[in-house]
Amino acid sequence: MLTYILNRLGMMLVTLWAIVTLTFFLMHAVPGGPFVSERMLAPEIAAALNAKYGLNLPIWEQYLNYLGRILTFDLGPSFKYPGVSINSMIAAGLPVTLQTGLLAVICVVALGVPLGVIAALNRNRWPDTTVMFIATLGVAIPSYVIATVSIYVFALRLGWVPTFGLDDWRGYFLPVFALSGFWISFVSRLTRSSLLETLDQDYMTTARAKGLRKGQILIKHGLRNSLLPVVTVLGPVVANLITGSFVIEQIFALPGIGRQFVLSITNRDYTAIMGITIFYAAVLMLMILIVDLLYVWLDPRIKLTKATA
Amino acid sequence: MTDISPEMWAKLPADEKATPVPPPAPTYGQEVRRRLWANKPAVVSIVFIVLLVIAAFFGPYLSPHTYYKQDLKLANIPPFFETYAVTDGAGETTRFFLNASNFNLYEVDAEGNMLGLLRGGRKDIIKKSQPYEFGDQTLTLDYSKLPARLVLEDGSEVRPTGWAWNKTYLFGTDQLGRDILVRQLYGAQISLTVAFVATLVNFFIGVFYGGIAGYMGGKVDAVMMRIVEIISTIPLTLYVVLLMVVFDSGLVSIIIAIGSVFWVDMARIVRGQILGLKSQDYVAAARTMGASPARILTRHLLPNSIGPIIVTLTMLIPSAIFIESFMSFIGLGVTPPLASWGSLTSEAVETLRAYPHQLFFPAAAISLTMFAFNFLGDGLRDALDPRLSR
Repeated sequence: MLTYILNRLGMMLVTLWAIVTLTFFLMHAVPGGPFVSERMLAPEIAAALNAKYGLNLPIWEQYLNYLGRILTFDLGPSFKYPGVSINSMIAAGLPVTLQTGLLAVICVVALGVPLGVIAALNRNRWPDTTVMFIATLGVAIPSYVIATVSIYVFALRLGWVPTFGLDDWRGYFLPVFALSGFWISFVSRLTRSSLLETLDQDYMTTARAKGLRKGQILIKHGLRNSLLPVVTVLGPVVANLITGSFVIEQIFALPGIGRQFVLSITNRDYTAIMGITIFYAAVLMLMILIVDLLYVWLDPRIKLTKATA
Repeated sequence: MTDISPEMWAKLPADEKATPVPPPAPTYGQEVRRRLWANKPAVVSIVFIVLLVIAAFFGPYLSPHTYYKQDLKLANIPPFFETYAVTDGAGETTRFFLNASNFNLYEVDAEGNMLGLLRGGRKDIIKKSQPYEFGDQTLTLDYSKLPARLVLEDGSEVRPTGWAWNKTYLFGTDQLGRDILVRQLYGAQISLTVAFVATLVNFFIGVFYGGIAGYMGGKVDAVMMRIVEIISTIPLTLYVVLLMVVFDSGLVSIIIAIGSVFWVDMARIVRGQILGLKSQDYVAAARTMGASPARILTRHLLPNSIGPIIVTLTMLIPSAIFIESFMSFIGLGVTPPLASWGSLTSEAVETLRAYPHQLFFPAAAISLTMFAFNFLGDGLRDALDPRLSR
């Protein structure tokens, strides 16, 4: 177990290094420096700024400096907002993104799985067709469409929730709904097909023949075995909730990291783009590791060493 | 052999049938086609996609409007409206409608063709009213209380005569007075072009990469797949964003950005297929006969894994459409005045409060297209590989 985790952490570091290198050189391939703007700077000031941020050094030296700073968890200063560090930008946005993201994950599990179970147990009857119809809708409609249409219907027309912001607890409804809509649909489809497959297994017949109670059969034998694929997608779910938050935070004007990222793109704040990308990558890899460990805990048949191969 | 008894030559009774020769077993292609045509949603999707492609690439030529021509006097026109009619003393009837969100009156004819903005008298800002002259009649637009009312001099209120479709601008106009229908069709053209070209690029890179990794196996495979693993650790959308920042927005760069990233799924699928197929006897036979690896790969292995490749391909198209519109939505896509479904949606969001109809068309278009490609992908998967169907 321990060697596996260490192995994975080592792999994570390699991946992270690759991503840092990639983003560093990508961002340096962009034409124009960070201080190029409509207002031309005096050459002395530009030189002083370059010297302050170490931009006058050869590129490999800048790269090594950047790597060194990242090792100490310092993502550097923002080039657009003087005196603001990327770390503080992330720290300011993280609580908002975490709150909506966690709520979305909870919604995905707490709604997606039961809906899938209901559909599977009522195969080809109206609960099944209804759930599958909604799930088909949810998989096809892009999140930003869900977000904008639900703003129009629930905030502007019905006035049940505020159009933007999180000042009110009701403000969480729409962003979380828009973020998790796709994955609720996806997970309920997955749960349904996986549970249907499990219900056909011989051990289910055996359990029924033994005269176990229905609920017990469903939960202990059916659900536990059919939830493995669902756990597998939870890693990608987290990843996609993060990218989904770019648009959702933009639409609902939530001051989270996704909005910071989009803002730094429109501002061409290269250090911020780099820093937030690296932060995302690190968080994601950690999440995927956690999901993999959860997987082993749920299904002891899976050998950890095999997963690395 | 030689003695065939005479009764064997006797005629059969008319009602006796010869044992029918079984028809030739349907080929794989025929089976696939039969299963696909039996799938109603998939067939409807194919029809929808074909119509969409035709409309997107030929529709704009049929319209008198262009996607970039602005007419600020006719901005934010709705696709349908309630018409009013006022008859003056000389018996001349003027038809018009009231845009309830900007309190302008627009003249229309009986069929619903737009004739132009009606010029009113001086706006009374304090009383919130504006007079309009129709011959000897004076009509006052009173918007001090909502909904706005149209009152004649004698104090009687003018009532709408009925609903009419906007014949000049079928889908209405946007905030700069551009025809939404034509912009919508151009948007479809761009979204589809990006999707098809990027998917094709992904297809070639993915098949090539996955094919080599799967066929070579061993160390090469391990290294190549490690690279794929590293790439797919962070969401592919993030790479597209980074590449778009480097390339700057534009049609070509978004195709490059999407095309250079999304091949990893294809590479995985192809590699998996090749790994399974390469130990088959026919591959060994081909190798014994001295076929080169390139020939074995292109002539033996890839044709046999065509099913999963096509399914992955059809699933790549909607995700490419989605990524493109997503990029355009956050302002990294095509440059204005070009339109794409994403930028149309984000423009519509700005005027959502007053003109929600502007959101409806791009949102419906992208959702329907995503549906169609999803259904088609599901249908193709069921048709090409019935074992995979759920």
